[in-house]
Formats: sequence, C-alpha cells, structure tokens
Amino acid sequence: MKLGSRPAIALHRDPLVIDLATAALHELTDLAHSVRYATVLTEDGFEVDGLPAHEDDRLSSLASSVQALSEAVARELRIGDAQYVIIAAEGGHVIQLRVPGHPLVLAAVFHLDETLGKALATTRVVAEHLAANLTPR
Amino acid sequence: MEHVILFAGPMGAGKTTAIRSLSDIKVVGTEAANTDRETADKPTTTVALDYGEIHVSEDEKVRLYGIPGQRRFDFMWRILRERAAGMVLLVHNDAPDPVGAMSEFLLEFADLCERGGVAIGVTRMDVRPGPTLTDYTDVLERERPDLMVPVLAVDPRDRGNMEMLLMSLIANIEMRAVYGGAGALT
Repeated sequence: MKLGSRPAIALHRDPLVIDLATAALHELTDLAHSVRYATVLTEDGFEVDGLPAHEDDRLSSLASSVQALSEAVARELRIGDAQYVIIAAEGGHVIQLRVPGHPLVLAAVFHLDETLGKALATTRVVAEHLAANLTPR
Repeated sequence: MEHVILFAGPMGAGKTTAIRSLSDIKVVGTEAANTDRETADKPTTTVALDYGEIHVSEDEKVRLYGIPGQRRFDFMWRILRERAAGMVLLVHNDAPDPVGAMSEFLLEFADLCERGGVAIGVTRMDVRPGPTLTDYTDVLERERPDLMVPVLAVDPRDRGNMEMLLMSLIANIEMRAVYGGAGALT
C-alpha cells in the first residue's frame, strides 16, 4: 500500500486506513477469542475503527489520554519509551500500544481468561502487521 | 500550602502556551499529533493534561493544570476540576464563535465558577479585533449576572500578561471567599 503520496486527509476519515484498521482488528479477534472490545485510534483520540462496531468510541478518547500520560511518566522518569500500557483490572485487561511508525494506537480489552502474556504478544503482532501495511505517513 | 488552578478553553486558545509562560518548572505535557488539521490547523494537541508550577514561597506553590479543549476528553475535565480552586478560561478571538465558546465553558464549569473563581483571557485579539471585550462582558452580564468575572485581552506567550490574568483570578477567588459566594459580588 502506498499511502504516503495520498492527499492529506484526517486518518480516521481515510477509507484506506479504515480498511487496514478493520483488517487488523479482525486479525486480533481471530488470534485471541477473549477480546471483548478493540479499537484502532489516532493518537489524538479519534476512533479509526472498533470491534464490535456497535460500541461507542469512548475507549478511543480514554486510550489517547492514557497513552500520552504513560509516555509522559516514562519520559519524566527517563526510563525510555513506553512499550505497552497495561491496565490489569478485576474484570479484564486493557492493553494498548502504538502502531510503530504511525500516529496510531491499538487498544484492546481482554476477558480474564486470556493470559496477560498472550494478550501482549497478540497485540504486538497485530500492531506490527498493521504498521507494515501502512507506508510512512 | 498549594493552590490548583485549571486552564480551560477551546482547542487552539493557547492553554499549553500560557502554562509554559507561567511555570517555574519544565511543563509536563501530553501533546499528540493533531491528525485532524481540517478542524484546527495546529501540529499538536493536548490529549490529557499540561502541568506546571509556580513557586510562590518555600511553603506555597500554585499548581497549573491545562485540560484538553475537545469535548471528547471531558473525562479529564471531571478528573482535574475536583481539586481546582479556580479557572483561567482562555478563548481565541479568531475562533468561529468565541463568545459562544466562553458561554459553553462557563456552563460546563459552573460549579467551579461558583465555589472558586474564574478569569477570562481573550487571546489573538491582534489577529481579529472583534468581538470586543465589551461583547464578552455584555454576554456575561446577561447570562451570569451573579458572577463578577474579570475579562482581559492577553497574549499567552507573554508571562507578564498571564501573571496579570492569574492575579485577577486570585483576587476574584479571595473576594468570593471573603464575601461568601457569587451572589455577594454583584
């Protein structure tokens, strides 16, 4: 895919980016059946796509803020770049990470029956695949 | 002793710049790439908060929290308003409806305006001179006759300007505390 030469358009309105995000979310749910909800969002909090589609886009706004806060903490503590954001709650895990090289974040909510290790590995693989399908923008 | 002041206002009003101008420490920011340049033509936008400090004395500091301007981040508004003693509301005069934006934010943060205080800074008046400050105060008198709100033209890049606005807010908060509520100030 050659997205770099396309005219400037907001990422969350770009049909090609939306298609690639949708494919990434389906890949995630195929690899990990315990995904309760997942979204690809722009780093400034716009949902590109979410699964299941009927959910509202609240997670995208929350994930954007949490991503930025986590990275601010890592920056202030000088411990390098934040790799993942992990929220381990009583009812499930929230995992999010940047799509390498793009102003996008993948965020997913997993049921507790998914091990944290598998959830981390799966989201990493999907984020890397999505990055590979997007040219540098 | 510490005081918490919130910096609110629409995207592009100059909140991050104002906190950078005022802060005695390096500002902790949470800026993300602005991927929707059609809505606001600026490279980055705050998505969680900006944090700065003013050191008044060894035992007293003012904590400055800037909030994101977009409503989709209103959960951050709720989190950060809890501890705030007052609010600096910035609106940029070249926005499509800056007076309307002022009214919206005052309504949204009515509880903080009533229990604490508020000061309004109008930015970018050099870019677009109208509406005038009187246009703002006319609407304030009509919509919130119970509140006495200072309204100043400011440049968020200018520390002196922002200190003046902050001092107006502190005076507003102190008067409210002395007279025991918004109604006593009319």
